[in-house]
Amino acid sequence: MKEVSLKKVLTLSALLLAPAVLAPALAGPANNSLIVGTSQEPPNIYDPWVTNNLAITSEINNWMGAALTGLDNEGKLYADMATTVPTTANGGYKLVKDAKGKVIRNSLTYTIRPDAKWSDGSPITVADFEFWLMVQNDERVPVPDRYPFENAKITRGANNKTFTITFDPPYLFAEQAGAPGVAPSAAMKAGWDAFNAATKGQKPSDAVNEQWIKFLNQYTTSNNLPKVVAGPFKPTAWRPGNSLTMTRNPNYWRKPSGGESKYLQTVTYRFIPNTNTLKVNVLSGQVDALATVGLSFDQAIDLQRGQRKFSTYFVPGAVWEHIDINTRGQKAKDLNLDDPNVRQALLYAIDRASLVKALFQGKQPVSNVFINPLATVYKKDVQTYPFDPAKAKALFAAAGWTPGSDGILQKGGKKFSLNFGTTAGNSVRERVQQILQAQWKAVGVQVNIQNYPSSVFFGADFLSKGAEGKWDLAMYAWTANPIFEEGDLFKGSGVPTEANGYAGQNNSGWVNADYDKLQLQARTEFTPAARNKLFDQMQTIWAKNVPSLPLYYRVNPYIQANGLANYDFSAYTLYPTWDAYRVGWTSKGAVSAHKQKE
Amino acid sequence: MATYALRRILQMIPLLLVISLVIFGLTALQPGDPVDQLIFGNPRITPEDIARLREAYGLNTPWPQRYVSWLLRAFQGEFGYSRDFGIPATQFIFTQRLPNTLLLTIPALVISTLIAVPLGIYSAIRQYSTLDYVLTFLSFVAFSAPVFWIGVMALYLFAVYLPQVTGGAIALPPGGLGNLSPEDGFWPFWLDRLKYLILPLSILMFREIAATTRFMRASFLEVIGQDFVRTARAKGLPNRAVIFKHALRNALIPIITILGLSIPGLFGGAVLTETVFSWPGMGRALLDSLVSKDFNVVMLCLMLLAILTVVFQLLADLAYALVDPRIRYS
Repeated sequence: MKEVSLKKVLTLSALLLAPAVLAPALAGPANNSLIVGTSQEPPNIYDPWVTNNLAITSEINNWMGAALTGLDNEGKLYADMATTVPTTANGGYKLVKDAKGKVIRNSLTYTIRPDAKWSDGSPITVADFEFWLMVQNDERVPVPDRYPFENAKITRGANNKTFTITFDPPYLFAEQAGAPGVAPSAAMKAGWDAFNAATKGQKPSDAVNEQWIKFLNQYTTSNNLPKVVAGPFKPTAWRPGNSLTMTRNPNYWRKPSGGESKYLQTVTYRFIPNTNTLKVNVLSGQVDALATVGLSFDQAIDLQRGQRKFSTYFVPGAVWEHIDINTRGQKAKDLNLDDPNVRQALLYAIDRASLVKALFQGKQPVSNVFINPLATVYKKDVQTYPFDPAKAKALFAAAGWTPGSDGILQKGGKKFSLNFGTTAGNSVRERVQQILQAQWKAVGVQVNIQNYPSSVFFGADFLSKGAEGKWDLAMYAWTANPIFEEGDLFKGSGVPTEANGYAGQNNSGWVNADYDKLQLQARTEFTPAARNKLFDQMQTIWAKNVPSLPLYYRVNPYIQANGLANYDFSAYTLYPTWDAYRVGWTSKGAVSAHKQKE
Repeated sequence: MATYALRRILQMIPLLLVISLVIFGLTALQPGDPVDQLIFGNPRITPEDIARLREAYGLNTPWPQRYVSWLLRAFQGEFGYSRDFGIPATQFIFTQRLPNTLLLTIPALVISTLIAVPLGIYSAIRQYSTLDYVLTFLSFVAFSAPVFWIGVMALYLFAVYLPQVTGGAIALPPGGLGNLSPEDGFWPFWLDRLKYLILPLSILMFREIAATTRFMRASFLEVIGQDFVRTARAKGLPNRAVIFKHALRNALIPIITILGLSIPGLFGGAVLTETVFSWPGMGRALLDSLVSKDFNVVMLCLMLLAILTVVFQLLADLAYALVDPRIRYS
């Protein structure tokens, strides 16, 4: 009986494994397709007003979207839907100044390419930009913020292919990012009219929002794929939780070198939430590339070893990892955290150079200031704080902190003991915490690690409540496009308080009148050289005061199969899909227009 | 029995109301809301924007008020829209996620029960035999190996290692739902789906078989040690009749309870299996909606689990009477 049961078990196992011989079809150049693996599924796609956005949505939208102008890997503008990039030189970009020379408004004039069409073949006209702007500024529409379009106006030109957008008050980055969005007004008309009728005269509310979702879901969800798109690909199938497939849009106007047939014909995104499973998919050759929302740094490092079919890249990003020091509340005062010298001491006491070498093989460079080195306003020679425990101890001593019998700094019966929080479960941050905790301990600073789920950490009751002493040190990251640097992370008016409804991102609570004055000036300074000068001073002040401990700039790891052309990106473009129309396999004849830089 | 069943069904109504109130309250009181996620990382957002968004998402009213409005709509079968997916929550769950979970959990439950019950009986009858030791060892492996580890190992073995060493003769997909759609033809579609189902189903069954075998073994051991079994043997009844006619029916009672409760548990508890194998089911939907504060989906998922729990518990109670004639509900 024993043997019979075992046999049964074995037979059953064999039956279960029988279909295994039907191996899945491999992705790759054979059928000129691309399969991209990602750990996130977009909630919706092609929402022109970005009312429900994630990084993966933006990345996927690049395949199907088109804009008047775009930014390339070097941060330079190119014309896509527009015939040319409006500049001061060609008269397309205009600054209007008052008698004192202050810019009071600015404007951009665009001409839409005559062959620019929606995927259904209908022409793209000014009406599509007007429709987008009208919806964007409608009070009932839940866009997170309307900046800079809340005061923008579109004026029609000589025909339905030319228009001017005017910003009054002026928008500092209009030349780089002032182009309005576009939405298929004809295709969306019926849906919009229904929304309009159902919610006319109503204020924002749950009921209005539901009508908005109803309107949007007719064009953006897995059940209702976008009917009309403008970009090089159009969506053809979305299997929720599994994959999204797009095929080439023959109506897209820019044609890659050698003809479209030599480039990708279909693109499929496979949604694999578990990054270990995603890694297995790479190893088994089931995906050709990973999205930027893919593997962790550690996993990418691991995959880099011994890979022949794939290349792993570590692309400098615009993500700044840092530790905010809480300068508000009684405890901050008691511990002199509101004293720049004590904050400097904390920075001198940690060895960031060794940390990035040990944890990231030196691929993530040490940061000294909050501005990204890729930004034109970045100050190269800002004050740095190399590892110097002796200097740290001296600064603590000067502030009256002396080591107690247990080695921990003490003053007036109080111990220098800090609560250090970050997002729980982020293994990289947790390792950084432990290294820093040990380094601070060496100079007499006691650090208690208290981590929280990211929903709590970034929620309404933690980071912004520094005044209530909810934390002393908080480690997290900021993402910023290097082109649009406004210095507003540390402006005094950005300190979240009860009075301002906890708006603003200056969580450290640091306020400096000189910095604020310069930042305000820089916001309206349209001359690049003068603006750089203001930012130079702002960074000098910031580096002297260190309201946050700058750690490192993150790099974005991603992986692609060898032979994939034009699937690369930079901190300016953010996603490897920015040049979607000419992504292809070199073995199928795709011409490489640019290569990934690390 | 009908009166008993009716009484139990009527008792379910206040019970489900209390459950809905508790889960709505707990969901609403958890830290953070959808607007927080939009505020963070956007230095340009103004206090006016925040107020407008809170109004737009209906977050500016106290949660008890929101609960009443949710409840009134729920009575009409309206569970609102998924904020994340832009479709009605019922459509998201019933058409997109529940069928996938059923495809995974029903075969897992049926096959694992069919395997585990005989194995448990065999283990009990032949206590301390080689197979008993082997099954005990495998059960402990199944209990102690986390799904996220054993699942990834299985993926690596069948999707990476074996394809390499067998030149592709043995290869299973590394997670996902499948490559084909029903439009590709009935058999190709289902063969493709089966291929993707093998690994998650096996892993899910592994734990189910381990658990049910252990319970069955323990229950059976307890029953065969009781007086009525000894009496039956003493009366000279054949071993087969003692085991299957007298002992088995009594030993099945606790198993029915466990199976009754494991059905709703499988819906929510398959979350790890679904995550590791990228299987888009209910478990993942619940987890994702909790993380992203997609309240309507959270409420629908949890209420569905609550309903399944009470309904299957009732069915289990009623099934007692079928296996044990001594139990009467009238």
